[in-house]
Formats: sequence, structure tokens, C-alpha cells
Amino acid sequence: MSKPRAGIFGLTGCAGDQLVILNCEDELLDLVSLLDMRDFLMAASDNDTACDLDIALVEGAVFSRRDKERLERIRQRSAMLVAIGSCAVWGGVSAAERNGGLAGLLDETYGTQGRDYDATEAYALHQVVKVDLKITGCPIEKHEFVAAVASLLNGDPPVYPQYPVCTECKMRESNCLLIEKSIPCCGPLTVAGCGARCPALRIPCIGCRGPAADANAESARQMLAAKGVPEHDIRQRLRTFAPTGGSA
Amino acid sequence: MTRTVRIDHLARVEGHGGVTVELDGNDVRSVRFDIFEGARLLEGLVKGRTYQDVSSVLSRICAICSVAHAVTSLKATESAFGVEVSPQTRVLRDLLFLGESIESHALHLFLLALPDYLKYPSAIAMAADHREAVQLGLRLKKLGNAIQETVGGRAVHPVNAVPGGFGRAPDTEQLIELRRGLLQAVTDAETTIGIFAGLPSAEFRRTDTAFAALRAPSEYGYYDGDEIEFLTSGETAAYPCSRYREFTNERAVAHSHAKHSMHKGRPYMVGALARLSLNAGKLSGRATRAVHLLGLELPSCNPMDNNKAQAVELVSDVERTLGIVESLLDADIADETPVPVVPRAGTGTAVTEAPRGLLIHSYTYDEEGRIVTADVITPTALNAASVEAHLRAAALGAAPDGDEALSRAMEMIVRAYDPCISCSVHLIRRA
Repeated sequence: MSKPRAGIFGLTGCAGDQLVILNCEDELLDLVSLLDMRDFLMAASDNDTACDLDIALVEGAVFSRRDKERLERIRQRSAMLVAIGSCAVWGGVSAAERNGGLAGLLDETYGTQGRDYDATEAYALHQVVKVDLKITGCPIEKHEFVAAVASLLNGDPPVYPQYPVCTECKMRESNCLLIEKSIPCCGPLTVAGCGARCPALRIPCIGCRGPAADANAESARQMLAAKGVPEHDIRQRLRTFAPTGGSA
Repeated sequence: MTRTVRIDHLARVEGHGGVTVELDGNDVRSVRFDIFEGARLLEGLVKGRTYQDVSSVLSRICAICSVAHAVTSLKATESAFGVEVSPQTRVLRDLLFLGESIESHALHLFLLALPDYLKYPSAIAMAADHREAVQLGLRLKKLGNAIQETVGGRAVHPVNAVPGGFGRAPDTEQLIELRRGLLQAVTDAETTIGIFAGLPSAEFRRTDTAFAALRAPSEYGYYDGDEIEFLTSGETAAYPCSRYREFTNERAVAHSHAKHSMHKGRPYMVGALARLSLNAGKLSGRATRAVHLLGLELPSCNPMDNNKAQAVELVSDVERTLGIVESLLDADIADETPVPVVPRAGTGTAVTEAPRGLLIHSYTYDEEGRIVTADVITPTALNAASVEAHLRAAALGAAPDGDEALSRAMEMIVRAYDPCISCSVHLIRRA
């Protein structure tokens, strides 16, 4: 079997998901030997920017006309397009309050010159093109990325948890910050896969992976309000990483 | 006859940037370092947010510098509220910065810069002939990540550093594990010096470069300190970080989402070479020997020497990290919780050294601890004007050798600065 042709791309974002890929120090040389890496601008300068690809991994969100054109081009040349990271999957942290207030934000940051910049509202990838697989996280988890590559090489889609962070937190036997300490924790709403890293450090979940499939935002809002967390803060926290993720 | 040489999309740098050179024969008409990473406007987006959320939102400015952004943010918030953190917290934050520096320098030196010197398109291609060097780089990089995971809870976008301290301090077993890796890293860092000392020299025509760096109170560090020091034509000048606007009074330029900074009308360089040029006297004996082995003359006006300066810092960082880990093991690390943080209205400004240079966060809070204004000045933004000055000088030197040589020189210089283009597009809020 010939090796699948692959490309790794970054739209607007922090490059954290590409960095997680480069952080697979133990697996990196094996991973790239299983793939025919054709286009990976962050790591290589001999890129084939025109060839057809079997798989494209795309991080970041669409924040400009240029991002949109690049994404559409990547979609055209790729049999499979994988969104990696919360920005690509949900819009991410800088999409949160952007939509609706873009002109004001540009003025504030750059002055009137900002109006000439190529800046659009924020879009998750699936709002612009068809997305075949989503790997969430801010950033993605190394083991979920490696599992995705391994599964796809075998012709199977990877299987990720649908349940919330709370499930993993219970399995780790960490103390509940929300119920025992009344600390606003997004664990009940956020999709698992991170091993409930933050509550194990006595830090509340801030929802960086986006909502679980059956997240009940209204119930969480009522519970937090009953614990005295201001409505404004609840709304902002629930929307931080996944502004396109449902009613929250 | 006029012509334009354009590098549309720089490879092996983080983010999206390019270079445009306009020439008339061998005369350089203009040089532009273009930044076209989308504008994310994060500073505007934290307005109104509670102090508890600010660090984790603003760390998302940049992954490679996420520790620096997260912790500088905490330092600014604590300064605004008059919070004093514990001595152990300061040591652990220092350790986080060292871990990030090791990871970032190893990534840059081995995966992004070394292929330039050895004329490979990528570290992946280079690994076929130089597998040991690539594996050594990956080992150092992994150690830097292990330090960040141990202290920060995660290598990219740390979760454990919060206002007032840490959620949970690492335990003795984790520190012993780190020490094991550090002992190997001492050798690896020395080998790195050997590799970079043996490379063909890359010399570009120089400009009279000015430098700026955090004035470290005692040791060669990245976290402690509140003053910014400049070195211009042999003269030094220091300012408290609260006066940062005097030398970040940037002008917005049409070709870039990053603005240009000057000190007394001149661009200045920040990063490893600037730190070494200003703080060489604070280096340990081992790191000082590395400076000599590399033939590094300080202050250096050759931007390519920034690579050698990062190699020296690898030696220094590994040695300092090992010292800190051993002292934490000797003293029995305590299971502390963060000191109480009581918000109040006010302004706080903090400066640190991110791997790529000076990083400034400045916030004004209202009495409930919500952001009124936030201002973030990143190293790559501070460097933008200096990059252009060096590009112009190198373009003049390389123009007679043809456009291909010129393009290659431009790419090597930009990569030597190790720009983090995602970082640079936030910039200063207008007064």
C-alpha cells in the first residue's frame, strides 16, 4: 500500500495544535515515516502546494477572506479534511465576542487603519466547508492525535469519548470542585478526553474542549447562579472556547 | 531597472508572514517584513472579563510562548491588586519559564534553523542523514515540555498557574523524574554547542544594532524583575516597565498587522542575542565557556548570532533548572495553595523574557476585578522594525549575487529572529 499523502495547515490561531504534533517527540519520526508528508509549512520549506492529498489536518479558525480562500483550496485538493483543535472545531477563544463587534474591536486595536485590514467575522471550519473528522481540544491531546493517525491508517475513524469531563474526573477520584467547594467548574458540560487534568490540580475546568454531546447548559447556568456566580461571568465562561457550540 | 523579490509565505516559522524587497539594479529601494496572520483582537475580547479568566484567554495568543503569556498575565494582574506570591511560587514560575525556553530553543535550533545551515528543506529530510542530531534536539525539546507539564500541568497552554500561585505543586517523585532527564540534558546541551560551533558561518552585512532586555535582578533569568534595559552604541539605559509606552509608541503600518517600535528613534532587537548582549556578566562558568566555544563576540550585530545565543541559553537553562530542581528536593516542596487574591481598581504592568524576547502585559481593572483595558506587547512586534533594518542591510549585500541568494538570505535572517507571528498581531491598544 502506498503511503497516504498528508498535509498539515494552520489558519488563524496560536499554532498550538501543530505544536502538539511536533511535541510527539517519541512518535514523530515514526509518524512521518508512515505518511507521505507533502505540505507542512510550519516544519518544511519544500512543500508541494498543489498536489491532491489523502488527508489534510487543519488548525485555526477562519478570520479573514484569505483564510477562507485557503481553506476552500485545501478542501478541493483533499479526500479527507480533519479539523484539529477547538478553534477549527468550534471557532475558539478569539471568536467568542468578535462576532457582532468586529468594527469596534478593529478600531480599538489598530485605529482607523484597521478598517483596511482583511478581517472578517469568525467561522469554525464546518461553517465554511465540509469537515470529515473533528479532534477537539485547546490544544488537542497528543494521544487523541496519535490514535487518529493510527486508526485512519487502518481505514477506521477514531473513537472519542462523548461523555463529559466529570466522568473522567470521577474515575480519577478527584474531589468535586463544583459541588463540594462551589467553584464554577465547566466539567459537567465539557467533552472528556483530557483525563480531567485541571480538577486533579484543584483548578476548575474552563471548557477548552467544547461541549459534550448531551451538555445541558441551562441546568448548569441555574446551578451556578444558585451558587452566586454572576450571570455575566457564567455566560462568558461557557462561551469562551466554543462560541458556535449551541445555546450556551 | 526596477524589480521586486517577494517571499510570499515564509516556511519554518510560526504563523504567516512574508518579505518583499524592491530593487533598482543592486540598489535596495525598500524592504518590508509583511505579517498577514489574521487579526484576532484578543485584547479587546478580554474587556469586561473577570481577572480569573484573563490569563487563560491571553495565553492563547501564542502556543510556543503560552507559558510566558499566561504567567506574565498573572504577574500583571497581581501587580494591579498588590498581591505578593510565595517564594516557592516565584521559583516554580522561574522553572516554567526555563522549561519553555528549553523547549522553544530546541525546537527552533534543531527543527527550524539547523536545516538552513545544512541545506535541507526540513528536519524530517535532515533526519535521514543526521538522525542523531535530530534525536538530540527532540530529547531536549521533550525535556522542556516535561518541565512545563510537571509544573504547569500541560506543555501547551499551562493550566496549573493561577492568580496567587499554583493549583498544586509538583511532588517529590515528579521532581526526581525531572532530575533524571536533566542529567542527560547537561550532556546534550554541551553537544549542541559543539554542533553549532562547527557550522559554516552565516554572515550578513551588519547594522549598528540596539538591544533591549529585562534587567534580571541577580541570576540570568526570565521571570523576576521589573526594569527594561537598553544597549545602544555602547550606552545602557534602564526604565521601570510601567513606562513601557515611551519605547513602544508604535506606528501602525499598512503592510503588517504588527506595529513598529523605536527607542530614541532607533529600532532595537529583543531575544536571546539581546539578553546575552546585556546580561553576559550573569552567566555561569559553563555558559560563559559556551560563548567562547561558539566564538560569539558580544554585543553582536550579526542577527544570525541569535541562533548561537539560543544555544548558549540552552546550556544556561539546563544548568539553572537542575539547580532549582535539586534545591526544591533538598528543601521538601510544600503543598501550597494560592495566596488570597482580592481585586481592586488599578493598573498593573509586568515584563518578562519570553523565549523570543521582552513581553509586556499591562491591564487596568475596575473595583470588581474586571478588565477595563488590556495591552499586550510581544517580542516579535518589538522586533519587527529591527528585522526590517537587518533585512535591508543584508539585501544590499546579497543583491549582486542574484535573486535566489537574496531570497535565501532574507529567509535565513527572518528565521534567525525566530519570529512568532501569531504573537505579533495583537499589539498595542491606541491611547
